[in-house]
Amino acid sequence: MTGFLSAHGYDPGPTQRPALAGLLSGAAATIPATALLHGFGALEVEAEIVGRSIAVTLAAGCAIMALAGASYGRLFRRAANDRRGGWLIGAAYGFALWAAGAVMILPLVSGGTAPAGMAAIGVYLSLVLWGAAMGWLFPRVHRPLHKSTDATASGLGPAAAANQERLRQSKRRNGSRLR
Amino acid sequence: MIRVVSLRKAIVAGMAGAAAWEAVFRALELSGAPMFDIVRGLGTLAFPNGPVLAWWAVGMAAHLFVGALWAIFYAYFFWSRFDWPPALQGVAFSLLPALLAIGIAGPQLATMHVDALTIPVGLETLLPNFELRTTAGMLLGHAIYGTVLGALYTHPVGYRTGRHRTPVRQSSAYVPSTPVEASVPAFAFATGIECSYPTIEQGRWRQDQMEATGHYRHWRRDFELVREIGVTHLRYGPPLHLIFLGPDRYDWSFTDRVMPALRDLGIEAIVDLCHFGVPDWLENFQNPQIPEALRDYARAFAARYPWVRFYTPVNEMFVCAKLSALDGVWNEQRRDERSFVTAVTHLAKANILMMDAILEEREDAIFIHSESSEFYQACCPDAEIVRIAAFENERRFLPLDLLYAHPVSDMMRDHLRTHGMTADDYEWFQDRQPPRRVILGVDYYEWNEKLVDSDGNVRSLGELFGWYVIAQQYWERYRLPLMHTETNRLDARQGPRWLWRQWHNVQLLRKAGVPIVGFTWYSLVDQVDWERALGKANGTVNPVGLYDLNRDVRPVGLAYKHLIELHSPQPDFLGTGAWTDEIEDRKRA
Repeated sequence: MTGFLSAHGYDPGPTQRPALAGLLSGAAATIPATALLHGFGALEVEAEIVGRSIAVTLAAGCAIMALAGASYGRLFRRAANDRRGGWLIGAAYGFALWAAGAVMILPLVSGGTAPAGMAAIGVYLSLVLWGAAMGWLFPRVHRPLHKSTDATASGLGPAAAANQERLRQSKRRNGSRLR
Repeated sequence: MIRVVSLRKAIVAGMAGAAAWEAVFRALELSGAPMFDIVRGLGTLAFPNGPVLAWWAVGMAAHLFVGALWAIFYAYFFWSRFDWPPALQGVAFSLLPALLAIGIAGPQLATMHVDALTIPVGLETLLPNFELRTTAGMLLGHAIYGTVLGALYTHPVGYRTGRHRTPVRQSSAYVPSTPVEASVPAFAFATGIECSYPTIEQGRWRQDQMEATGHYRHWRRDFELVREIGVTHLRYGPPLHLIFLGPDRYDWSFTDRVMPALRDLGIEAIVDLCHFGVPDWLENFQNPQIPEALRDYARAFAARYPWVRFYTPVNEMFVCAKLSALDGVWNEQRRDERSFVTAVTHLAKANILMMDAILEEREDAIFIHSESSEFYQACCPDAEIVRIAAFENERRFLPLDLLYAHPVSDMMRDHLRTHGMTADDYEWFQDRQPPRRVILGVDYYEWNEKLVDSDGNVRSLGELFGWYVIAQQYWERYRLPLMHTETNRLDARQGPRWLWRQWHNVQLLRKAGVPIVGFTWYSLVDQVDWERALGKANGTVNPVGLYDLNRDVRPVGLAYKHLIELHSPQPDFLGTGAWTDEIEDRKRA
């Protein structure tokens, strides 16, 4: 998928801050996800499984999901700005986190206990909802974070005409000769 | 945006696939061959002991919802990645959700049915249950789903021909603002809104780049972006096929919004009247009514928007005729020399009649004839290969030769005669005097230079001689002021480098004494499906724009802004009055 996105020009360029946008969107998306977890009684079950209070579990969960949002921004970069399809990419990312985190990692770190019944449904739905909300929020949070085009154009001046890779190789060669 | 997706089609196709799965499985169950029952599995999460109708309704709703979600995922990430029949693409894709269902979702669904809040887990809980009937049921169900999804989800962009559409439905109303005084720029730093609208699939399907790139919805924003970059001129092609409804019948509803906005924003429009397609009622470029019909359209347009000064009556005549009548990709989809000659004749004649009609409305109109620059290099001294290259190097000039009354070579004259151009037709072109205010637009892309290989096949060479050399050949032949009217790079990472290299070509040719009046990065926003020359309606985004389809600036957009700021003080060729004298001096020199 990364190759596919890369072929479609997903380099964000110097005006964008995808990791920051992901961090903020990921944190904000924990609000509906937490509400859903609580509604299914899954928050209490997760706290019980990891052996911490609900407040600590919630705080840790929010921090982890904010970082997961930042990773989403780093991974999908320009593609995450899609206003029509961002929610879907986010939901797929949430599904992947559920498959990796809730299904595989949580039982391992908890010593072999996993949510079941309504709690399991709640964990699943909350992660997919978190992903969809984060993906939907991302482009909307990101737009005001863009740097001005006036401040950033200077890095793409006439030197861009040169073959940058050759220049780097040439500098490396010259540097090694000097040493 | 990584793909232009039709959400409506994807949702319908996904739900239809899920419904087909359920219909087949319910029929199997009723006939005594029960398979894995996904609807029951989902429905009984909500109604473990409820009536059949209750769990079936809930289960079916969830099944349809998941089917729609996977279909949207398919539309974004899988559709058209392989050049397979659509249903086969869908079946291949269905392996992904099938494996996830067998490996993860199925076992997890089982834990969701447990009547407890936690369960002890081990490897036996995490690993999938490969019970034959369940596994086979999941594979079969997903295969049915994928077949239906693949068969139904096609053509995410464009629309069927023969139905009247109006882009004004998608566009917002224009509220007139205080007009910005359009300055008379010394040099045209231009971009364009990609607007191609050829038909494909034997005239049944219309590609429409303005729709695919969202311009009908975002036109106001697009014009703001033009201002943001600092571009002075905008190549702009109103959708001829949606405006020109029949003889003396026009739908100006969209252009009546956008053209005044362009004027008020102070953007000098280079209006492109025919861009690779014609309205349904004119069918294609083999139609002998084309020249007169397009003349009428040009006259009507110029009369309605009298402030427009720059026109491209027909865009890239050579490319249009070649892809329509020689390569079999667009419009008439022919593959023979006679059809090619017919198309070229009609396009060149239309171009001339359109200029005449526009000049009747606005005598100081300036025409920018944007044409694809081409060059053919023989691979080897083989006489036949050299002949093919020489012929193609003559053929590339043919539409312009007709347009500018430039005599063609004996070889080309014989070719035209053999393939249907009468002596009268040829004389009609040669007897004309081209208008005085004409600029030759020379477009250049990395695939414009071609090699004729030892088998006589034409292959792309990449940038061998570059725009400087190729454009100079056009200058030597016609002695008209030039403009670099199109370039871009399909690999977005290489965009800034390509931009500056093209610009340096322009600068060098100007220093050599050729009057060059403008430069263009084409286009403002990304394009769609050009990697297949618009031959397939796949919705694949080509990241060539100054902005992407989310209207976020690309690095090449920033580089172009920087270039314009750095080089805006240029000798004045485009100012009113004096520019032609300067050009005449250079032409004489």
